[in-house]
Parts: sequence; C-alpha cells; structure tokens
Amino acid sequence: MPTLISPSERDYILRGVETNIRADGRGRHDLRQITFETGIISQCSGSARCRLGEGTDVLVGVKVEIGDIEIDGAEEDFGGKKAKRGKVICSVECSPIASQQFAGRAAEDYNNELAQILDHVFNGPQGGINLEKLCIIPGQQCWIVYIDALVLDYAGNILDTIFVTTRAALFNTRVPKTSVQENEGIMEIEVFDDVDQAERIVGWDQVPIAVTLNKIGSRHIIDATPLEELTTEAKILIIVNKKGKLCGIQKSGEGSIEPSLLSEMIQTGRTIGQKMIRVLDDNLQREEAEMNSKRVKGQQFEKLGFFGAT
Amino acid sequence: MSRQELLNPEGLRIDGRRATELRKIKCRPSVLRQADGSAYIEQGNTKCLAAVYGPSEPRLKSQIMHNKANINVEISYAPFSMSERKKRSKTEKRILEIASAVKQTFEPVIIATLFPRSQIDIYIQILQFDGGTIQICINAATMALIDAGVPVTDYVCACTAGLIDSTPVLDLNNTEELLDSPELTVAILPKSGKVTLLQMESRLHIDKFESVMNLGTEGCQAIYKIMDKSIRDSMKDALEKMNG
Repeated sequence: MPTLISPSERDYILRGVETNIRADGRGRHDLRQITFETGIISQCSGSARCRLGEGTDVLVGVKVEIGDIEIDGAEEDFGGKKAKRGKVICSVECSPIASQQFAGRAAEDYNNELAQILDHVFNGPQGGINLEKLCIIPGQQCWIVYIDALVLDYAGNILDTIFVTTRAALFNTRVPKTSVQENEGIMEIEVFDDVDQAERIVGWDQVPIAVTLNKIGSRHIIDATPLEELTTEAKILIIVNKKGKLCGIQKSGEGSIEPSLLSEMIQTGRTIGQKMIRVLDDNLQREEAEMNSKRVKGQQFEKLGFFGAT
Repeated sequence: MSRQELLNPEGLRIDGRRATELRKIKCRPSVLRQADGSAYIEQGNTKCLAAVYGPSEPRLKSQIMHNKANINVEISYAPFSMSERKKRSKTEKRILEIASAVKQTFEPVIIATLFPRSQIDIYIQILQFDGGTIQICINAATMALIDAGVPVTDYVCACTAGLIDSTPVLDLNNTEELLDSPELTVAILPKSGKVTLLQMESRLHIDKFESVMNLGTEGCQAIYKIMDKSIRDSMKDALEKMNG
C-alpha cells in the first residue's frame, strides 16, 4: 500500500495524464468497471456491496429503527420542522482489512471526515430522502435510517464508491409499514412484520452520488488509483443528483485551482455523475426484475455475496 | 422462551437442526486483493471476513521480538451485524478478550521463529452475527493464514458445543447462546487431535463434560474437512489458471 511516491513515478503519472493514457490504459474520464450486488446481508433493512475494478470494495448496510425525535432548543421554526422529520445517521469504517494504513486508531479521523460528508448530504433537502415521510408520530417517534459503510479493500476512490453503494443499498431498503392508534390518550405504534407490505424509502431516486476530480498537472482525472491520488495537487468532490443539480462541492488537497479549470471540472463531474446514476439505476432495476421473476416462478434466487468471482 | 422450545420432543432445534448437526458452512479463500491472504466464511447466519497481512515490518518498536514474529489480532463487528444496530468500539473489553484468545490460539501453530523481528497481522470483520464468535474468528483466520502462505503446522478448527435438556448439542446459534444452557468452545489441531483452545463460561456437570467435549471435537473435524476441501478447490482453480 503506497504512501510514498518517487519523483520518477510522479513524472510518469503526470505525463500519462497529459497524453490521456493512464497507467492502466484508461483515459482521463474513464471509470473502472463497477460490479455490485444488493441484499447480501439478510439482517439489514437493505444492503449493497460494490467493487470498483479489482480494487476498492465497499459494503453498505442500511438499518431502519424506530427512535425518538429530538428537538434540542433550536429556533421555534426549525424546532417545528424537526418535529415532523425522520433522521439519517451515517458512519464509515475503513477496516484494516482494506489496508494496513487503517489499522489501530489511524483511520479514525478519516472515518469521521467521510461520515460527516455523508451526514451533511443525507440530512439536508439535497439528500433526496424524504425525511417527512419517515416521521411516525410528530414530535415523538420517527424512523431513523442508519447508513453504515464498511470499506473492505482499498485501491483508491473510496468516497465515490461509498456513495454509489449507498444509493444501491437505499434502493434495496424496505421500511416496514406502521399504523398509529390512539389508546387512552397514548399513541401506540403497530409495526407490520409482513415483508410484502414494507415500502421503499421515498426519494431514494433523488439520492445524489459523488464524483471526485483530481487535478494532476493542468488536467483532471476521475476515479484515481492510490498512486494517482498521491500525485494529485488538488481534489474537487462534486455531489450531483439524477437531475444534474449540484448537491455539494468540496475542495481538498494542498494545491489551488484556476477558476476556468474549476468550472470545467465541475461540468465534467456533473456529466459523469448523471451518466453513472443512469447506468446504476438500469442495473439495479434489472437485478430486481430478475429476482422477482425467479420468485414468481418459484425458483431459488441465491445472492452470490462474497462467493462471486473476484 | 422456555428451555423446552430449544429442543422439541422430536429432537429438532429452533432452526430445524438435529442435536448433533452443524449449521450450513460455506467458505472461500482469496476474496480480497490488497491483503496478503483473505477468507470469507459463513456458518449458518454468522458471516465473517478475515484478512492477513504479513510477515512485514512491525509498526511499533515496542512490539519487536528478536527471535520470532509478533502476531497481532484485531476483531471488529460491523454496526449492522446484530439485530439492533450498534457501533461497537474496537477497544471494547469483550472484543479485546476475544482477540487475545484468538492470538493465543494461533501462537503455537504459526511457525513464527522463521520471521524474527517482523509482524503478522490478522484482521477479522464480523459482518453478521448469529452466535459463535470465537469459533468463526478462528476458522476464518486459519483459512486466511493459509491463503497468505504463512507457514503453519496445522489447521486450527473451532466449534461450539453445549447441553440442552441433558442432550449434547453442536454449534449453537445466538438464541441458544443467550439462554443459560452451558456452552463450550473448543479448537483443535485436526491432524494430531490436540486441543489448542478450550473455553467455557457457564456451569457444566463434570459427568457431562466429556460427552460435550467429544461432540465439540467431532464438530471440529467435520469443519476441518469442509475448510480443507474449499482451500484445495480454490488452489486447483488457481493452478489451472496459471498453467493455462
């Protein structure tokens, strides 16, 4: 797992990016092949696992649980809104399984940083998820959606993979149906255990994905490998949704970016992001259609999980 | 839940198994790219992933041993692994205790004297939990070590066994573990039959001990056959690909 890069390697990558042929033969805007599968952890309300090329491997488990609505002394208006919404709580764990640099407590800061990005995106209106629909009893009980991402293998481009896997996992998530009854002044919630009555999360299709653009030399690339990440001068994270609307931008890295290059990068990010969402959705629908048709025919549908070809 | 329901009059347990039946085991080595060795194992609903890095340079100077390699084990539960979502810290006492037990189990088996002043890391991630932590950690770690090519004197296979209504039972799941029935975890080296781990945290009458222990040992031998077959099949596959 490289954490150091020699000047010759740096030069090699720089020149490769300039001539649009990267070390693995890809062009500047080419993604590695994405393989994913949903529904592999049966104990979760929804789950997905995504593998980027032969490297980065992310597993996301989504659990929905009933919890209390917390209205901490915020302003009147905001407090009022919060009372009628559910919550999304995200966590990211870069497992030492992925890379030795994540062993012990080394990855804590990085995990926090990634989790914060997810939290900010999904808890706002730009996150797509309809938080009002997750409210069960206004002011008291709501559904809390826990999104837990686990990075199992590291070969660059973790954040983009996490977002793509989260979108797939949210597509796969089912929230049990509830009914609220008033019993002697106390509201009681009844949760229906019937799997067929469970509903999809409203707004899953508006959930955005991330595209990280790395500036190398005077050009930019997407989907960087670890060595390319070490050569990067500056990174822009673009979070874009199905409609092409920007849901978040973050610049990181030690270098700076000229304004003209910046707008070019944002445009590239948007185009690629929208394309990725289209392809991902097509495949998600296809996987689900296959599963449903097998279920209707009474055939066994076994999830490959980790037994698929690596 | 009354004890009667764990083992009904027909001899079936809650998940439909017989008393001496193991859960369905599926395993596979070499599932990850970055790690030197990796393995994925499923025992019933418990799913576990293990990765081995090493032998490599030790990260902490204090851990360098002049005559053999230092073995480091880290275990982590995914937040979604239990029925209730909970984020468990890696430094939780119970987890550290299990990691220490796994480390001690492998110390006599790994030929560490071949690699002085180096470190062998075993990282274990539990993706779904339905009983049998230590046993699945040990089984996954064994396969990952073999996949990494770390020299070991033998496989280490572990299994749990217990007693429900005076009947010895094999391979307890979470529901059976949570109730007060006695539970024993045993790990053996299959070729010699030597016991390398023996743990029990409940009361068990000495008269019953031998039968439960023997059942556990038989379970370990059965698991050994499954793990060995899986590794040999995957090696055969790899050899075929290499030789074209």
